[in-house]
Amino acid sequence: MNIQIDGKTCIAEPGESILETARRNNIDIPSLCHHEALPGLACCRLCVVEIEDATGNRLVVASCVYPVAESVTVYTNTEKIKKHRRTNLTLLAGHVPEVKGVLLAYCREYGVIRDDSHMKAVVKEKCILCGLCVTACEALGNSAIQMAMRGIDRVVAPPFNEPSLNCIGCASCARVCPTDAIDCESVSGNRKIWGKTFSLVKCAACGEPYATVDELDWLKGKLLDTELNLAYCPNCRRRVSVNTGK
Amino acid sequence: MILPRERLLELFQAYPRDRRYALPLLQDIQKQCGYLPKEHIIEAAGYLGVPLSRIYAMATYYRSFSLEPRGKYVIKVCDGTACHIKDSKNVLETLKGLLCVGVGGMDKDGLFSVETVNCLGACALAPVMMIGEEYFGKLTEESITEILEGFRKREAVVAGI
Repeated sequence: MNIQIDGKTCIAEPGESILETARRNNIDIPSLCHHEALPGLACCRLCVVEIEDATGNRLVVASCVYPVAESVTVYTNTEKIKKHRRTNLTLLAGHVPEVKGVLLAYCREYGVIRDDSHMKAVVKEKCILCGLCVTACEALGNSAIQMAMRGIDRVVAPPFNEPSLNCIGCASCARVCPTDAIDCESVSGNRKIWGKTFSLVKCAACGEPYATVDELDWLKGKLLDTELNLAYCPNCRRRVSVNTGK
Repeated sequence: MILPRERLLELFQAYPRDRRYALPLLQDIQKQCGYLPKEHIIEAAGYLGVPLSRIYAMATYYRSFSLEPRGKYVIKVCDGTACHIKDSKNVLETLKGLLCVGVGGMDKDGLFSVETVNCLGACALAPVMMIGEEYFGKLTEESITEILEGFRKREAVVAGI
């Protein structure tokens, strides 16, 4: 189906979200809590866009969860949308005053000056509580972390704030995190994450550490009858399988 | 109070193994134990086939659940708008003086624990508190002392002293 985004005709797949269609067609919509492999969370609210239906009614929606429809026209960068994004950025930046990276870049792009004089911000806080790490962990099938507590005490944490038995140290949570809020250290053959230490496995070809022992054990359980050679890192594995024809 | 394994399994048997029964199951445990012991949460997650992190999230989300042991009588001091204006802070101070516990704490006999709630819906009686299922309104320092004494006497009778 075809959909109009910012005056450009874009081809959309049924069931896709506006955000996915737009990004595939090189139209940039800012967002923090979206990952292409995971369903939309509609949490950071930076991906808001305006849609106009056949009767001319306009509506502000979160594009990461709004499914595409032929009858709507999408505007991603109107003054109204910019204003909404500025408000949301102000709130996010107030919550995590010292955060760098994507959020800081968006703040600069939208001209948001961090003013936390009227709110009590936790200076060291980096997490915006978008829940992307929780969703990623769940999607992988481990569910080692969850949003615990409520209100101002809300945190992402493993059960009882203790190292989780389910955690395999894959660090997917840290990788998807838009604000680098999850502490993950890899030093001298060990990876430390969520208070648990994992031994890293080195690739048989290039020698780079690429996974933890627990992660590979877990993968072996999942891939019972596939001949994936887990001795190599994903890059080398590709090369080896091309060379050996396996 | 931690339940013996057989008793816990009996509680579990009342519900099918499905995640939607997590909340009533936790409520049953809380009712029996007065709080949610860590061991029981782990067992419950295993029984329902739900990740432990989810049950933990649920247990920490709801205010009616407690992960810490609580006294036999839970004192809920209202800190809603009306009670706040009628100096509910003083109620807490008085309780602190009498029981030597702050908000969220339990006294040394394990008889009372103190919590605040946002509104008990009895604003005309402000400042108000609940002990167990009983309401006590228009509190003063004297009346609080009397109320607590009443509960202590009741306990002494139960204990047959």
